[in-house]
Amino acid sequence: MIDLLAFARPPIDWHAAAPELTLLACGALLTLVDIVWLERAKAVSATLASFSLLAAMVPVVTLAVDGTDRAMFGGAYTVDDFSLVMKAVFLLTAYVVVLLSTDYIAKGDFWESEYYQMLLSAVLGMLVMTSARDLVTIFIALELLSIPAYLMATWHKVDLRSNEAGLKYYLMGVFASAVLLYGMSLLYGVSGSTMLSDINATISNSQAEGLLAVVVLGLIFVVVGFGFKVSAFPFHMWAPDAYEGAPTPVTAFLSVASKAAGFVALLSLVFVGFWDRSDVYQPLLWLLSAASMTGGNLMALRQTNAVRMLAYSGVAQAGYMLAPLAVAGESSATADDALSSVVTYLAIYAAMNLGAFAVIIAVARRTSSAEIDSYKGLFRYAPVLTVAMTVFLMALAGIPPFGGWFAKFEIVLALLSPGTAWGVVLGGVVGLNSVIALYYYARIASYMWVEAPPDNVQSSSPIKVPASVSAALILTGLVTLAFGIVPQWVGHFTDVSLL
Amino acid sequence: MTDFLTDWGLTLVTFAPLLGALIMMTVPAGKTHTHRLVALFASLAALVVGALLLVDFNYGDAGILQYVVDRSWIDVINSRYILGIDGISLPLLALTLVVVPLCVVYSWDHIPHPGNPKAFLSLILILETGMIGTFVAQDLILFFVFFEVVLLPMFFMIGVWGGENRRYASIKFFLFTLFGSALMLLSFLALYFLSSDPITGDPLRTFDMRVLSDVAGAGILGVTQVWIFAGMFIGFGVKVPMFPFHTWLPDAHTEAPTVGSVILAAVLLKLGTYGFVRIAVPMLPEGAEVWMPWIGLLAVIGIIYGALGCLAQTDMKRLIAFSSVAHMGFVMLGVATLTDFGVNAAIFGMVAHGIITGMLFFLAGSVKERYHTLEIKRLGGLLVQAPRMGWLLGFVSMASLGLPGLAGFWGEFPAILSAYSPADGLPVGVFRVYMVVAAVGTVLAAGYLLWLLQRTAMGSPKPEFADNDEIVDVTPTEWIAWLPLLIGIVLFGVMPGLIFRVTDPAVLTVLTEFLG
Amino acid sequence: MLLNSFLLLAGLLFCIGVYGVLVRRNGIMVLMSVELILNSVNINLVAFGAFHGDVGGEVFALFVIAVAAAEVGIGLAIVLLMYRNRLTTDFAEADMLKG
Repeated sequence: MIDLLAFARPPIDWHAAAPELTLLACGALLTLVDIVWLERAKAVSATLASFSLLAAMVPVVTLAVDGTDRAMFGGAYTVDDFSLVMKAVFLLTAYVVVLLSTDYIAKGDFWESEYYQMLLSAVLGMLVMTSARDLVTIFIALELLSIPAYLMATWHKVDLRSNEAGLKYYLMGVFASAVLLYGMSLLYGVSGSTMLSDINATISNSQAEGLLAVVVLGLIFVVVGFGFKVSAFPFHMWAPDAYEGAPTPVTAFLSVASKAAGFVALLSLVFVGFWDRSDVYQPLLWLLSAASMTGGNLMALRQTNAVRMLAYSGVAQAGYMLAPLAVAGESSATADDALSSVVTYLAIYAAMNLGAFAVIIAVARRTSSAEIDSYKGLFRYAPVLTVAMTVFLMALAGIPPFGGWFAKFEIVLALLSPGTAWGVVLGGVVGLNSVIALYYYARIASYMWVEAPPDNVQSSSPIKVPASVSAALILTGLVTLAFGIVPQWVGHFTDVSLL
Repeated sequence: MTDFLTDWGLTLVTFAPLLGALIMMTVPAGKTHTHRLVALFASLAALVVGALLLVDFNYGDAGILQYVVDRSWIDVINSRYILGIDGISLPLLALTLVVVPLCVVYSWDHIPHPGNPKAFLSLILILETGMIGTFVAQDLILFFVFFEVVLLPMFFMIGVWGGENRRYASIKFFLFTLFGSALMLLSFLALYFLSSDPITGDPLRTFDMRVLSDVAGAGILGVTQVWIFAGMFIGFGVKVPMFPFHTWLPDAHTEAPTVGSVILAAVLLKLGTYGFVRIAVPMLPEGAEVWMPWIGLLAVIGIIYGALGCLAQTDMKRLIAFSSVAHMGFVMLGVATLTDFGVNAAIFGMVAHGIITGMLFFLAGSVKERYHTLEIKRLGGLLVQAPRMGWLLGFVSMASLGLPGLAGFWGEFPAILSAYSPADGLPVGVFRVYMVVAAVGTVLAAGYLLWLLQRTAMGSPKPEFADNDEIVDVTPTEWIAWLPLLIGIVLFGVMPGLIFRVTDPAVLTVLTEFLG
Repeated sequence: MLLNSFLLLAGLLFCIGVYGVLVRRNGIMVLMSVELILNSVNINLVAFGAFHGDVGGEVFALFVIAVAAAEVGIGLAIVLLMYRNRLTTDFAEADMLKG
């Protein structure tokens, strides 16, 4: 007889898991309401979803106030400053996405309640990702956030373009996660453990030298796998198509939250799992970063559609965020700089990119298009939206006093601080790319301000912006400005360390 | 009261215009009159506080920073909110504070096509905050932020309210300046990482301009200083604009609306020269010594090139723009000598150029409004049709060509003279050649300005404009906007000591490294 | 048997899978190729788990199997949706979005 009583469940820190559990409970409630109320549930689903996200914020705040680092399941699931900051970023991002979606999803031909259920489960995956320090947990989190995202990209079921976007995103996504898994299986093979800390201990010791090729291969596969997720060049080809075809609020979600989730995973892998193998990951990430910045920007120059342009600019932005990782291994001081600069960038990027998408959604109500040409003369009939778009674009370009400059500044600071030639060169690449990028951001700005409206756009009356989109605009706009003028506010929170 | 001024005065001066712009954003666009009043009030508020500061300023100690505010700003990168003014900032601050309200007054009934006074005036106010901030900031990052704040409003001012080619001109202005400031920022970062305490040798890791000027590049090898200086040289040089980087200026000036041109000429160009005097020279003395002969060379090339360019222009505004290139050449020549005399002349030159060229652009704008063209060959007989305006054009041209007794003289003449004996370590012979060439430049300047005057003001009106009722003489709004500048031209011409007395102690501080 | 033979088999499956993904233009075939890769991963995990005497590998493999099932379910739904709308599962013909 097996003694059933001898089983003791592993200790669970309920407070540490509270954000995820809250979200899970609320998501279940949302499903329940949908099942019971049927049609009537539509009216409340968006409200319920946004309350769920805010409710999940509460334990994040209490955990932050409490301030102690917590670890569960032998360290596979940790709650520290880094994970809390990223949880807050994900929850707020999702909140803004709900604001953007409310009107869009209600007016269009969409399934409503299910949309928000998918959104919440994707966010749940992201929350798990921030705490995951173990290959299995990372994999589960990745799938939990990806699978709903595939569906959301396809949400406009009758639209062929949306189908195509979803299909391309899906096929690329599963391929990437399969490659990633193969890399993980190799790392597991070398270390005999799925814990990131154990992996770091084994791949760096002398025994692993004989298996160096396997380690390198595993690392490359893992990094490439996440390279797809963060749409780094040359693994970005799904992004422009998926972004253009998917419903615009979903695109906003993909380009911010999904990308950030990829970065969170990369950060915990690099800083915890591969830390002592900087000789392998640094050159790899250096190349990936330089290629993403340059490739993304050069391709963004030729785009005629604002969403596609933002997709390619997102590739370039991913390059900026990868850059500090290419020097992170120089010393632990550099590692801290690099980590906090990436986290800062992610937080600011979320605000400015969501803001840009909010404007695109608002303008498309009038022009029914995201073509750059349709932005001509926007200043004449929608001055507020024009100012907002200008703020977000210039923030993305990194011009003070809008948020983006500080993000880029911290990146360059982190690159230069170790004083290595590689870092300095990459810093130069960042600088050069910022100037290239400026051209296409400024081009939209000058279309909006300088040109006359095209004939097919009715430009005599101002655009009616739904209240929820206005709220999203105000929220992201204020954050973008605040982070640019008083960067200490964000810098204070994102000054985190993983080691 | 004095305490309040000491603690809050500079912050108030800097942000009062921005506050005005924010208020304007809450007022509906239709209420034009309210917008004008708010804009005027905000810029006047800044002027009043600025005037109080000027009165309260301790002129005996103009060499040290006063009204210093030092608060935490971005701790994570060791950047602080440090403001302060000394004898170098003060005249430029005053210039900005005076010019902007005049621009607002001038815009009272001169909002260029396509209208929208709300946006136009708020951009002017945002510009003012950026310009003032640049002159009072004493932290490199804060300086950089203000330096960039100026960029966007100017870009839109040219892009929206500009002439035919506004799109090209605005993008060109934007990209040139931004390329420069990217390099400038890299240089700032290099200073941050490389500067070290001269006694202990510890890295300083600070952006505090006071500290960085004090240590004067200690711990940075001469070769490295040369490279860092190169970055700043391009960053500031684009803004000045110095000879090879000047091509954006004529385009920007030609396309910009009148007020935009005035602000551009009167204040924006000074951000570059101010950067040289305030940051590049004191923080990187060894780099400066290597670069200065080259800067001097480019300065005199600019003088001659600008003058020759003027002679080839057919457009009045473009001509004035080229004359700006020449005048800023004199300023840079003064800086390049690294002497007390030369740098003082340079600062005087900045103020004088600001007043005079600003005034010229006002006149050009008013001419354009009346004739709807600035083509020199179509103009003529201004003295007949609008005699007062014709005389003003003559008067300001005289000031611009450096007539003794008017402000322009004290910028050019001492700058040329200072090149006779540059600071120790600079090649004397080379600078004497520069001196001669620059002197030739003044003759050319007299040539093109008199030519301009003769073609536009004298003679009889061209038939196409002969019986045009639109051509009226100077209007009351214009008088209000111009009178302070005209007074300034005479006042500083007669009493140059007003400015030299303030700048000299501060210049001595900046040049400590060179004067032994 | 040696660990090597399992790894070799897995490596072979992985290569076939990647080849399939890169070459085939039919949605269903690509999905099947991805399945091959996932199975190569499972073989790796189980083999390594046995080699190290650690159940972690098998547990991981179980997770992969379960998640892959969900993934394929979604994938088939998307392919089916596309088939309904345009009567083909060949995504070379899905070219409305340039790129």
